[in-house]
Amino acid sequence: MGKMFAVIKREYLERVRSKWFVVATVFGPLMMAVLTILPAYMASKTTPSNEVANIVILDASGTGLGDRISQQLGALGRTPQVRAIAPAGIALAESTATREVIDKSFEGYLVVDALTQSGERARYAGRNASTIPDIERLQDATRGAVLAMRFEAAGLDAQKVQSLSSVKLRLETERLTEQGRGSSGRGNVVLAYVVALLLYMSIILYGQSILMGVIEEKTQRVAEVVVASIPSDKLLAGKVLGVGAVGLTQQVVWVTSGLLLLKFQQPIMKAMGLPAVGMQIPQVSIGTGLAFFAYFVLGFIFFTSLFAAAGSMVSSTQDAQQVSTPLTFLIVPSILLLTPVLLQPNGTLARVVTLIPFTSPILMPVRMSITSVPWWEVAASITILIATCLGAIWLAARIYRVGVLMYGKKPSVREVLRWVRLAR
Amino acid sequence: MSTLAVDIRSIVKRYEGHVAVKDLSLQVPKGAVYGLLGPNGAGKTTTIRMLLDIIAPDSGSIAIMGVSNTASGVLDRVGYLPEERGLYKRMQVRRLLHFLAELKGVSKRDASQRIDEWLERLDLKTAAKDWGNSKVDELSRGMQQKVQFIGTLLHDPDVVILDEPFSGLDPINAQALKDTVVDLRRRGKTVLFSTHLMDNAERMCDSVCILARGEKVLDGGVAEVKAAHGGSHIALGLTGASTPAVDAVLADRSLVGRLDDSSRFFEIELAPGADAQLLLRRLIDAGAGIERYERVQPSLHQIFLEKVGASGIETGMSGHG
Repeated sequence: MGKMFAVIKREYLERVRSKWFVVATVFGPLMMAVLTILPAYMASKTTPSNEVANIVILDASGTGLGDRISQQLGALGRTPQVRAIAPAGIALAESTATREVIDKSFEGYLVVDALTQSGERARYAGRNASTIPDIERLQDATRGAVLAMRFEAAGLDAQKVQSLSSVKLRLETERLTEQGRGSSGRGNVVLAYVVALLLYMSIILYGQSILMGVIEEKTQRVAEVVVASIPSDKLLAGKVLGVGAVGLTQQVVWVTSGLLLLKFQQPIMKAMGLPAVGMQIPQVSIGTGLAFFAYFVLGFIFFTSLFAAAGSMVSSTQDAQQVSTPLTFLIVPSILLLTPVLLQPNGTLARVVTLIPFTSPILMPVRMSITSVPWWEVAASITILIATCLGAIWLAARIYRVGVLMYGKKPSVREVLRWVRLAR
Repeated sequence: MSTLAVDIRSIVKRYEGHVAVKDLSLQVPKGAVYGLLGPNGAGKTTTIRMLLDIIAPDSGSIAIMGVSNTASGVLDRVGYLPEERGLYKRMQVRRLLHFLAELKGVSKRDASQRIDEWLERLDLKTAAKDWGNSKVDELSRGMQQKVQFIGTLLHDPDVVILDEPFSGLDPINAQALKDTVVDLRRRGKTVLFSTHLMDNAERMCDSVCILARGEKVLDGGVAEVKAAHGGSHIALGLTGASTPAVDAVLADRSLVGRLDDSSRFFEIELAPGADAQLLLRRLIDAGAGIERYERVQPSLHQIFLEKVGASGIETGMSGHG
């Protein structure tokens, strides 16, 4: 046990001390912070700017439509210039305006004519033509002006039209589930995605890490000194647990800083002068939390022991890709099935894939975060996973025992099966 | 308490297509320096790996210091320098040595003290520079070899097993290794090493075992082995280069059974029943300028060639370990 602890300690400390780990661990929360703050920042950027009023309106309607539009836009604090022109002079006025826009005297120009009056179309050209909120604002103003003129033509009082037609409406959304109204339906979907991605990333990253570690031991010829002092199954177990502890450390840092970020998100956003994002800390019961932890640990052990065995089969980093790709294929389906499971968390597909040990470590936590899964399904899934885990460790230990001292060409599947049969 | 440091009984190891070790028995007394000799592929490394329980024999038993080598804690009394040597390149030397000591069950405090002693003894820690704080890959190859020795001996093992210890060593480290072996023997430790360098074995070993094609060819004390094969060997030294006439005499199978030709120096094994005096007279008649003509004990090298033969070496080359 003491020896295995020595291996765990070495694997853990050497990895945690590496620059890569420090960067990834710090960078993770930073990315999360950016991902939370950036949308708010973008949203603040995409409210229509003052620039929308810094235009010139070329009015060929002959009805003063341009002035009305100018008034509507004037609410933003600045009234666009209006140039009344004859329909025949549009081309000339446009080329003048184009030059002015290029000289940056204006942001753009709006052309209104008889077609606008009849409610068909108006034209706009400007530097901000691809800024959706600006264009929407412009369109609203034009539409509003046309509408107001029509109401007046029908005999309605201009003041009344103004008060009747100004309706500011926002559509707020809320999600209903079978469990009733969740306080934040979206929060749980986000949680599901976050959980899935964290597990997936951890398994892939640390699977590769343990694989390279084993190959490094072989290429640097350290393996034999080590296996002469500790049985190879204990060595393998020590490696898997040591690397697992590294992954867990990283997750704890990430999850803790993520929760802190959510908790203090509003004051942070306020300090940065941004509107807060309506996202709350998802409600997770202690039982669900423990299940997440169990799936993380078991999934991690399951896959990393397979990666370790794969690493022991080859003797160069060049061959690493060849043995790790098939293992990656075992993990990728979890991500492909993520959306179907999210859409129908209690469907047959979701039920089946959360029992299969290759997909359950990632998809069961996903399912659990958006719906309540019957306890017996969780129990069955965990039991199957534990059994498969033991099988994987047994298999990996046997492959590792023979493989770690084998040099030369990559063994065939048949040879590996023979190792499994003959080891010990 | 057993007087044997290593007691191997009838071990067999088969691989698909060939038998690496056939029914091998070996006894190494405590305090001995024991040489395991043989061409490449004779089964030396396989035997050593079985001894260290890295691989299991198909049948037979192995005891170290009187206890089965699969018993827990036994291997903590063994120090092992494998033929394929290496260290974790990116680890700090001191941390690496701590790890190796911990794998052998040495307490942390003992390890710290011994690591410093060893680093000082092998000039890796001087007033100017403490290499213990450097990473392994910052060390020169020679220094890395020293670190590897320290790793092998740090836990003060009773039995030290060295697989081809001289391969890849620079002359200074080779000498340091010889000195270390002498020192270990003086302190009553048992050293077992494999080599195909007969000169080293002859000078350092008390006893040897010659292996070929997975089988024991002979074993025993170096003096006894040589005595058992002595008597019919003659060392011949010529003043100049050999002539065709001299070569013809030496090619006479009725006189010369086996010849190790080094141009001006020959080690001759007389043919059965041949007369040494007759050979000398024939050589003089052939006009050879003789500097030395002496009955000698055969060198281990000679015995090795005689017992294993060229064929044993060649077939051995294709195998591993």
